[in-house]
Formats: sequence, C-alpha cells, structure tokens
Amino acid sequence: MELCLANHSSYPRVGASREQQRLRRAYAQRERGEISPEAFNQVQDSLVAEVIEEQAHAGCELVTDGQIRWYDSISHVAGKLAHVEINGLLRYFDTNFYFRQPVITANVEWREPLVVEEFRYAKRTSVRSVKPVLTGPYTLAIASIRQTPVYGDFSTLVMDLSAVLAREVNALATAGAEVIQVEEPAILQHPQDLPLLQQALTALSEARGSARLALYTYFGDAAPVYEALQELPVQILGFDFTYAPKLPDKIATVGSQKSLGLGLIDGRNTRMETAKDVFPLLEKVLPHVPGEIVYLNPSCGLEYLPRDKAVAKLTLLKELKEAFLQERKG
Amino acid sequence: MSRARLERVGLTLPLLPTSTVGSFPKLDYVLEARAKFARKEMTRKELDALERQATEFWIEQQEEIGLDVLVDGEQYRGDMVAYFADIMDGFEMGGLVRSYGNRYYHKPIIVGKVKRPGPITVTWWKFAQGLTSKPVKGMLTGPYTIMDWSFNDYYPDRKAACFALATEIRKEVESLVEAGAKIVQIDEPALSVRPEELHFALEAMHIVTDGIPAYFITHICYGAFEFIYPKMLDLPVDNFDLEMSNSGLDLISLFEKDPFTKDLSFGVLDVHSHVIETPTIVRERIEKALQVIQPEALWVDPDCGLKTRAVEEAQGKLRSMVAAVRELRETGISR
Repeated sequence: MELCLANHSSYPRVGASREQQRLRRAYAQRERGEISPEAFNQVQDSLVAEVIEEQAHAGCELVTDGQIRWYDSISHVAGKLAHVEINGLLRYFDTNFYFRQPVITANVEWREPLVVEEFRYAKRTSVRSVKPVLTGPYTLAIASIRQTPVYGDFSTLVMDLSAVLAREVNALATAGAEVIQVEEPAILQHPQDLPLLQQALTALSEARGSARLALYTYFGDAAPVYEALQELPVQILGFDFTYAPKLPDKIATVGSQKSLGLGLIDGRNTRMETAKDVFPLLEKVLPHVPGEIVYLNPSCGLEYLPRDKAVAKLTLLKELKEAFLQERKG
Repeated sequence: MSRARLERVGLTLPLLPTSTVGSFPKLDYVLEARAKFARKEMTRKELDALERQATEFWIEQQEEIGLDVLVDGEQYRGDMVAYFADIMDGFEMGGLVRSYGNRYYHKPIIVGKVKRPGPITVTWWKFAQGLTSKPVKGMLTGPYTIMDWSFNDYYPDRKAACFALATEIRKEVESLVEAGAKIVQIDEPALSVRPEELHFALEAMHIVTDGIPAYFITHICYGAFEFIYPKMLDLPVDNFDLEMSNSGLDLISLFEKDPFTKDLSFGVLDVHSHVIETPTIVRERIEKALQVIQPEALWVDPDCGLKTRAVEEAQGKLRSMVAAVRELRETGISR
C-alpha cells in the first residue's frame, strides 16, 4: 500500500516577507484601480506557482493550487453561476473565517467554467499531480439564501447545483484531473440529508470519466455517519480526525470499501503532532483500508494557519510518513 | 432581579440605562501615533500621552451625549484578543491569517503557561474613572474567546487552555474591583460558535466571576444563539449584552419561547451601517424588546463596539439612542 502525501485544499496566500505579501498588495491596488486585470492575474499566477512549488518542496505528492484565487470556498463557486448574487459575510462553520453568502434569485445555471481554467494553469505549472477542489452541491445550497419560489423545496436547489457541478467535474476529468475533491463539510451538521447528498453526487459520479472522486468532510465528527458515507458514489472519503476521536475505532470495526484521506494532522492549530499522536491511529486504520493508495493530508485546508506553520505541517507529515514506514520495516 | 445586585454594589441607575459595548473610533492622531510607534518612530510614553488625550475626549463625549454607564473607549487597544495576548506571559504573536477577503490578522499562539504579569487594564480604568462621576465599566475579553481566537501549542486541549486563561482573567477582575470598578464586562463573542463546548465555557465564567462583588455583563455578538439558548442563561453574569439590530431582532422570538431571565443590554444601533438611526427607529426597537423583557431588566446600547464607525457617525448614533431613551422615560414605559 502506498501512503500518498496530499495537501487538503486551501493554502495561506500571504507570509511574513514583503514578497509573500504581494497578492495582498495587489488586491488593495485593484480596489484603488491602480492595477490592470492582466497584472493582477499575473500576481495570482505567480503565487499559485509559488505555493505549488512550496507544497512539492515540503514533500506533497498530490498538490492543490491553494485556492489562491478564491475569495472563499462558497462565493468563488456559487458566484460564477447565473442568477446568483453575492451578499454579506457569514461565519464559515466554527472558524474565525467569513464567507460571502450567495443569494439565489432564479434557477441556477452554468455560465462560465468554475475552476477548470485554474486547474489547467496549476497542472501546467506543477511537477506534481494536482488535485482540483470543488465545493459540493449540498454545502453550497446550505450556505445560500433562497430568494425565489423556484427553490421553495431545498432539494431542488441541491439537485440543480449538482447538475452544474457535474458539468465541471466532467471538464476537470477531460482536462486531466486524476483525483477531484468535492467538499461537503455541511453534511456532518445535517446527517438527515445524507440520502439527498447521495442523489446529488450521482450526477457528479456519472460525469467523472476516469478521474476518482474524493468526498471530503471536515469541521465535524464523521463517525456517526461513517456507514452512510461509505454508501456514497465516490472512490475516496476524506476525514477530519481532529473532531472525531472515535473514527479510528469505527473504521477498524466497519472497514472501508473506499480509499481514504486521513486528516490526522490538525490544519487549524499550530501544535506539531508527534509520532505518538499519529502512529497508533495509522496502525489502527491502515489494515482496514483497501486499495493501493491511502492519502495522508491535513484535517482541512491550511489557510487557517500562518504560512510558516502551514509549510511546517506539510513537512511534518512527510517526516511522520518516513518514520512510520521505517518503523514498519524495522 | 439584578437591580438588587446593582444596589448591593452601590449603584442606582435610571430605567433603561444607556451604555456602549466598549470601543470607540480611534481618533486620527491616535491612529497615526500607533503607526509611528509600530515603526519605532515614537516612544511608548509619547503614544501613552496621546492615547490618554483621546480617552479624555471620549469620556467627555459620553458625558455630553448623556450616557449612564461609560467605557474608556479602548483607544490604547488593537484587537480584543491580541491586546491581552501581547501583555500576558505564555503567548507568542503568530503570523498572518486571513479573516475574509483581503483582511488578515496576527493570530496569537499559546506557547507556554499563560500568566498575567500584573494588572493589565487597571491603570486605564482608574484614569478613565478619575475623569467622571458616572460609573465606568471594566472591560475584559473572556477566557473562552481568548482561547478560541488563539492557537494552542501548550495545553493538552481547548478546555485546559480555557481554564488556565480563566484563572488569570479572574485575577484581573479582582484587581479592577479592588480599584473600585463596580461593573465589569467580560466579552465572549466566540461563545456561540461551538455549542458542544458551552458547558466548559460556562465553567470558565464561574472561575472568572464567582464570589466577586461586582455587576457582571457579558457581550456576545454574531452568534448562532438558537443553538445555545436558553442554556447560555446559566452563564454566571447579571447582564447579557447582545447584538440585536444587525440580526433583524430575531432573538425576540427565542425569548418569546423561553423567557430571558437576566438583565439584557439590547443592541439598538447597527454598528456596520453608516446610516444614523433616527430616535424613532431606536424607540421602536426598544419597544420590541419591552415586549419580552421587564423594563427594570433592560439596558440600551449599540450592537457592538463602535470602533468601525467614523467619529461623527458614532456620536450621531449615540445621540439618537439617548434621545429615544429620554423620550421613553418621559412619556412612560409600558409593555
């Protein structure tokens, strides 16, 4: 079995040095109309390349573009759809990060590529395999305000978003994505809607071509819904273990039909995990995971950490993997 | 109920006491001075003098506007958590973290045992109280919020970090009360974020306030109150200061279901809007509150700190608020 070091999704876009703060300055210049759209894009492009390189250097075998171009994980995707306006700020789960809330005014429709162009750029730039990330239909729907009678029924919105996202999944697969991450943190707060999520993911699954779909949940305990998640039409399940103390036992008892993404390293706190924290969990879980690849990733996007700590976490993941394999060999 | 508590600490306040949540807009010369200080172009002493001057300005303003319970205006504070983390032992300032859009902040890291090196806010409180005969609130950030808004490298878990902070914040409360503060506000805006942790946030507040002879207020804003209400009423404080205007007064319906049993500081001014509410609008908001709260238990204030507003906006909003309250007091308050 191969342990693949993967980034989760987002990555800090500023760091301590002036050079690492160039995107922040570019945003401010854009607000003041002092930078052309082309020049602004160039700053974003260069930063995407930089964070991809940084992830690879830290040992990541599967990198992301760091979601450097995203305002947040909700409005970046929803804001590109027809009949969606972007509203005020709302807290993103239990973090200290705020997203802009979409307001749905009529049928949501595809209008332009969501992330496939970003993926193409990242793929061209990266020496490592790149994983595109999409926010899932259920989480997008939960985060939105429905201001149209068309969506009096919540599930209709979820299914319409599913159709739009399926088109993007297909585009990503065609563009060469091997793993496509779909994020559905909101389902952990609303487990009663798992049948709806199952239905919504079917279209995405049908559109995936030869790519593997990875469903990632975080900021909640997946153990109580683990069996139901195993039924979803995806090939990989990613978990945030920092919220789920009983999840390793659950996996050991129930087993897994799917590859797993193990979020054993806390993407929300600066404390550096030790072998003592991580190895027992790996030993408990790994014998029960089928397939050739297990992904070792942070528990969530790394943007909740300062840049220096994000690099340190990825480096730590690499060191832990090496030490773990060494110990097994020994 | 807490009128008796107020009397016990020696305070008699009019009906519908007016106050503010804590911060006022920083005056231009303070902003400039703080920037210079950060660039090491100004000494601590020079900065202090200007911050005192600005505090005097805001005390005068509050008296002139006619507020009943005053604050020092926090001209000398930046972020409400970083201010305490900067002064307390056991913290290190972390790198930049994004809060939204293009906004970033330095998030503190707990790297050792947290410890109050000595009184943190007492000198400022004494200075402000020395300028007025009206009561000035002692203003602190609560242990749960300091914990939640910091990284934790040192304590085994969030609860342990929270309790350690609670012990230190209690010392600050004791110092404030010893210095003469009768009202102490302990802000816990993070309280509603993780309902599953409410039980230890409550315990932490017990550590902070139990047995101390003061009237305690806690300010909570932008929360999902529906998940922590009515359990949050168990928080050992006398008064909850809640943001009401920005959330469309949704909380009223919660109080209709489960009666609010403490004093309530009812936010009647939207601090994120440039629009200056008219006294009529403020009065309507207060009347809504009076449908679910006894007049004796109701205080009136803005939704949150006014530091995000321009000086004139803050003044204008507060004048409307005081005008509405005076009108209500004169015409009689009925439920």
